[in-house]
This record gives sequence, structure tokens and C-alpha cells, in this order.
Amino acid sequence: MKEKLLLVDDEADFLDVLSEYLVDEGYNVSTALNANEALALLSKETFDLLLSDINMPGMKGFELIKEARRLYPSLKSALITAYDVRDYLYMAKHYNIGNIITKTTPFNFDEVLLLVKNILSEEVFGLDRYVRGPVKRTTVRSTNDIEGVIQSIVAEMPDLKHRRKFRQVLNEIIVNAVYYGAKHERGDSKESWPQEVTLSPEEEILIEWGADGEKAGVAVCDQKGILTKEEVLYWLERNATKGDNGMSVGLLDEHGKGLFISRETIDRFIVNIKRGQKTEIVMLNYKEGLYDGYRPLWIQEL
Amino acid sequence: MNIANILLVNIDNPDLAAQLASRGYTPVPVQDIPSMLDVKVSFATVLVSQEAIGDARAEDMERLYFASGGAPISVFISDQSSISTGLKRALDEGTLERVYGHEVASGLATSRIDRLYLSAGLDTVVRAYQQQADDKDLLHKEMSLRNRVIEHGREFNSNITGSITSGLVVIDTGGNIFLINEFARRLLRLSQGDMLGEPYRRVFPEKVSRFVENALKRIAGSWRRHDMKKITVDESVLEIATYRMNDNVHNPIGLLMLINDITDQENTTAQLYRSEKLATVGTMLSGIAHELRNPLSIISARSQMALKKTEWDREWALKTFESIDGQVNRCASILNSMLDFTRYKAVQQALHKVDEVLDETLTHVEYQSIFDDIKVEKNYQAGLVVYGDRSRFVQIFLNLILNAADAMSGRGVLRLTSSLEEQSTVLVEIHDTGCGIDAAVKDKIFDPFFTTKEPGKGAGLGLAVSYKIIQDSGGEIWCSSEPGSTSFFVRLPSGKRKVYERKTAAG
Repeated sequence: MKEKLLLVDDEADFLDVLSEYLVDEGYNVSTALNANEALALLSKETFDLLLSDINMPGMKGFELIKEARRLYPSLKSALITAYDVRDYLYMAKHYNIGNIITKTTPFNFDEVLLLVKNILSEEVFGLDRYVRGPVKRTTVRSTNDIEGVIQSIVAEMPDLKHRRKFRQVLNEIIVNAVYYGAKHERGDSKESWPQEVTLSPEEEILIEWGADGEKAGVAVCDQKGILTKEEVLYWLERNATKGDNGMSVGLLDEHGKGLFISRETIDRFIVNIKRGQKTEIVMLNYKEGLYDGYRPLWIQEL
Repeated sequence: MNIANILLVNIDNPDLAAQLASRGYTPVPVQDIPSMLDVKVSFATVLVSQEAIGDARAEDMERLYFASGGAPISVFISDQSSISTGLKRALDEGTLERVYGHEVASGLATSRIDRLYLSAGLDTVVRAYQQQADDKDLLHKEMSLRNRVIEHGREFNSNITGSITSGLVVIDTGGNIFLINEFARRLLRLSQGDMLGEPYRRVFPEKVSRFVENALKRIAGSWRRHDMKKITVDESVLEIATYRMNDNVHNPIGLLMLINDITDQENTTAQLYRSEKLATVGTMLSGIAHELRNPLSIISARSQMALKKTEWDREWALKTFESIDGQVNRCASILNSMLDFTRYKAVQQALHKVDEVLDETLTHVEYQSIFDDIKVEKNYQAGLVVYGDRSRFVQIFLNLILNAADAMSGRGVLRLTSSLEEQSTVLVEIHDTGCGIDAAVKDKIFDPFFTTKEPGKGAGLGLAVSYKIIQDSGGEIWCSSEPGSTSFFVRLPSGKRKVYERKTAAG
């Protein structure tokens, strides 16, 4: 049976073209021009996913999702916006919303489709969902492996932009996966982390990397799943919010900046969480100039 | 006890003591000095005679010095008798500023005594001395001091006219130059020759002469006492102010002119206008970048769909291209509204309909999403015109409207009202239902660089520049505010009156 989507946006033209696309992709799509219309439709039919614009006259997207979740707890939801997602991190944290996709130019249908599929299927792990080309895998078994793994990944990256950016971020993410993800070391006491750590088979970190015609990607996955969506939103928001002095309020925090900086550095910073089982961070970089502009918020906790 | 000025004299004479007390001085007998030093006092001038202070001890002077918070202490010796050892030591140690001998010649001492005489009353002091000392010689000294004071005053006057960095000219009612200082010659680009008694017409630049001529006519014929005009002489912008000079029965006897070079100031103001406009453009630009994303992503999505399709049915193609066409037009109008605002270059003085200016201003901002939930109410009186540079009017209203939208956080009612007042002035009210202006900052809102917006959201120039523009146009701006209701009022001279005045002036 076709899955039912409800799209809400005050841009009628946008609703029209996006629903045309999603219908082509095999979904059953309804549209609403504002929150009230959407709530009326929700009361008549059962939907699988609500995808709403944020900035609409009247009730905004965040409030709509809050209300819809209250009325229909099993309804899945995500937001979409043409604006800077960073400005909405506070709201995302407040409403505990992990998915905000962006209306990019050129419009990224693939990304919208992937997000919709991910949310509906609750299948989110594995770099092959995100990159079409062949995916290579390796594991990190001790801190001594880290530098070698980074070097071999970066050497295979298709162009300079990818290499430079991935190198900056990979170290941060893998080190965190080993110490925090696998060994549960506290992020606020990095100075007391042991110099060398060896991981047992249940603690090993899985690394995947690969590229397709338009992007390159790396996924770093632990086997513990201790990071939560709330935590990620907390640290992102803390670093995106400016205090009275114009600096980010998270500037002097002992940790938490790595997540934010990684998200700022990488085109798509995706966090997948299965509580108690695994945490996967997927990092995608597009070819220079493609889908430039605002970055989506993409955290999925199952 | 906090005394502005303590005068220490030998006050055996109760008359003098009372006189001094009535003028705010606190005469203190010398023998009492030590006892009052524990009290916090501030001494501006302490003037004593050596006879009075006797063999003052250096320690006493030191304590006096510290008690005064380091204010200078002078001792005036009315005869030539030698300085006591105590005073000498105090001098050496620097606690005593200076000891003046009886041949007081320095301008400093004269002016101090002058000041003292002015406040204590010369006659009283002289009489007091007379009674005290019964010393004709002393009286003689005081009289010669008095002459010195007068002489000093005369020199002082000519010193003033020579020292000030403003041009100063006095023209008598006959149109002849009565007084002209060096600076005025320089500002008016006049030669060095003696101009006293010369008709101003013969020496002043023509534009200045014309202004003086009108000013002279006005002081002769009317109640008008004061005129001001900006006149450009060579490359400099001069601000010339004229004042009517009267004799003691209020007949005009001449025209006093003060001339200032305000070229730098004018340039700064012009720069301020430009930078504020740039800042406004910057704010609009980020708004535009925002607003273009929606239509651009729609255009992109539509064309990708079209490229993917293998067959186009007519109805589908029509829908797709109409959508693309509509979104392209939307982009264009967003860009045009920005270009319209930046297009004006030179100041173009003309008549503008107030409602048109307000509506045009709205088109620059209305497309922004912050206006989605703002209801705009227009309450225009028809037929109102103002005279001036259109882009500046737009700039004023743009600032006020954007502030209003900010104050409402994008939700509320924006009401624009225009009306004609008595005295032919146009009043525009920009009302919002926003958070209101905190009473604590109300006085500061027109100050340059004052802003309540977060960093990067405004330079704090908007209202300051609006204020300046409005003032330059002969108008006023003010506001009244409480939470939930804020109005900015802009009063501008009606364009009809301005044009009428220009016509009558020309005809």
C-alpha cells in the first residue's frame, strides 16, 4: 500500500512541484497551504509523514508538528525551509525536532526523497544509503589505527576540497567515537583520557567511505548508541546561539564544539542513533558549488 | 561642610565678614584654620594676607593643601615685608602655590583678585581695608590694581576676538564694517588691508553680501533678530549666523555676524547618510538573499522535473512554465525593489506625494517574510505633498517601518497615518503594536550607534540619520511608546507651503 504524505507550505507552487515529484516516486500525497488546513486533513485521514514548511502565516511549522504529535503520536514528521537552519536550532531543541531539510538551489530531490524514505522505513544505517558508488569498510580497533585510517580515506577522496575538509573533521569524529562512543569517557575531562586505548570486538568502530558522481562520504559507527538526539541538539544550539557579547554561548565550553564545527565544515552532517546499539555519523561533501547554501538538520533517533 | 570657596582674611571687621558671608564665602579667622582642617572642604581660592596669616607654619599650609584636595593656595602679601619662614618652607615643598608680592603684575594674580573683587564687592573690600589698616598707601595700591583690572579687561576683549576660531564681524546699520577679526578675513577670503569703515558690499563675496543685505533689511524693519545660512565660498561651506545688536533703548545699531567653517561637518554628515544607506542596503540584501531562495528552488525543481520527463503533455507543460515564469517575475520584482532604493544618486529636490512615498517604502520591504503576519493599515489623507529628496524620505520611513516590524517580531498591526496639521505641516505617524521602547533607552534612540538589536542586525544609525534628515528638512521626529503601542511621529513642512515660499521669494 502506498504511504501517505501530507505536505504543508504557504508556497502553492512549491507544494505542487514537490507533490508531483513524490507522487512519481510512488507516494500518496496531500497538500495544505497552512497549519489549520493541515490539522483539518489530519483529523479526517491517517497519514504516515507530515512534512511542513517552517515560516508560514499563522501557526508556524514547529507548532504544527507539536500539535500534530500530541494528537497523533505515531505520525512521523520533518520540517522544510528556505531559510538558514542555524537560526532554527533553538526551536529545534525546544521542540525536539531532529529533521529540517532545506530548499536548496538547485533543488535536491534526491535528498528529500532519501530523508522521506529514511524516516518512513526507519532504516538509516550504512553509507550505501547515502552514496551510490562502491563503499569501502574498515574497523578501528585501537587509537593507533586512527591516523592510518584517516590517511587511507583521505588519499582516496576524489578532489582536494573533500580531502581537506574530511581530514579536519574525521579526526574529531573518530577520536570521539573511540573515547566517548566506545569507552564512555566523559567529554568534559579530555585531559584525563588515556593516551592509548584498545577496543574489544564489541567496541570496534566501523568506518565506511565512498563517493559517487556528485559527492563523497564517510560514515563512522560505534556499537554502543549512547549519544542522544537531545544531546546533539543541545550542543548544536549552544554553539549556534550568540550571547550578549556576540560570541556563541558555547565558546568556552569544555566540549561539544566538535559536533558544531563538524556540522559547519561538512555539507551534510547526519547523525543516526539506535539507542543502546549504535551511533552512526554520516558526513557527505558535495562537489564544489553544488547545493551550496544552507545545511539541513539531520538527526534520526530510532 | 562643603564650601566652594573659602576666603581667609583678617576679619576683625564684622561688616566685611557679613558681606563675604552673604556672597557665599565663609570667612574664617586665621587662628581657626587648624581647627577646621578635619572637616571635608573644597577650597577654590584661598587668599590671605601675610599680616593675617602671621607666621603661618608650614605644617598648617600643608594640612590646608590636603584638606582642599590639592586646590591651589595662594598667599597675597600686601606689603613688602619679608616672607615668613613658615610660608617659605611651604612654598619650597609645593603645598603653597605661590606668594604674590605687593607689585602684583601678572595677569594671573590680577584676574584672581578681579574675581575676588567681583564676588566680594570691590568697594566693600576697599572700605574694609581702609578701615582696617587706615593706610592711604594701601588704598592707593588697591586703586592701581583696579585700573589694572580695567586695562586687563580691555586687552582681554581684543584678545577674545583675535583668539576665537570663528569669524566675527560687526556691521553698522549704514552697511560699513565696524569690526572684523582675522578669522573672518580668512574664511571670507579677504585681503589683508584695513577694512574698518568700508562698505561690506565692496569687500564681501557676492553670495555673502546678498545674505547680509537681507539680514540688514530684516533687522531694520522687523522683529527678526536672528538669521542663519549655509553659504559655499570657494570650496568651503560656511555657516553664517547674524544677530541684531541693540542700543539700550532697543534700537538696532548693527549686525553681528558669526562665521564658522562647517565643511568637515557637512562632509561627515554626507558620509553618514551614505553609510547608513549602505547599512540599509546590507540589511535589505540579506533579506533578498533569503527571499530569493524560495522562488529559485521552485524554478530549479520545476526545470528538473521537466528535464526528467520523456513526454510533455500540453496541460502539464503549461502549468510548469507558468510556474517558472511567475517565480522568475517574483525574483525580478524582489531585485527591482532593491535597485529602486539604491538608484537615487544626487539629491533631487522635488514635490512628492506622501501616500506615494509611504506606499513605495512598503514595496521595498513587504515581500520579506517578517511581514507575513503583520497587518498593514493605511490611513492616508489625500493630496498631501512634501518637498525634498525622495530617497531620503523613503530612507526615513523604511527605517521606522523596519524597526516597527522588528518590535512586533513579525506579528501585529502596522498603521501608517498621514494628516495635514495647522501651520501647513504634514504629520506622518508610524504605529506598531510591538514590544515598545524601554523607558531607560528612550532618550538614546536618536543617538548614533545606539542599537538594541543583536550584533550584525543593525549599526544603530537608522534613527540618528532619520533625525538628521528630518531636522535638515525643517521637520521634527519624536515618539511615544508603551508596551503594545509605539508611535513614531514625523512632522514635515508641507510641500505646498515650501513651493509657495520659494515662488514669493523669487518673485
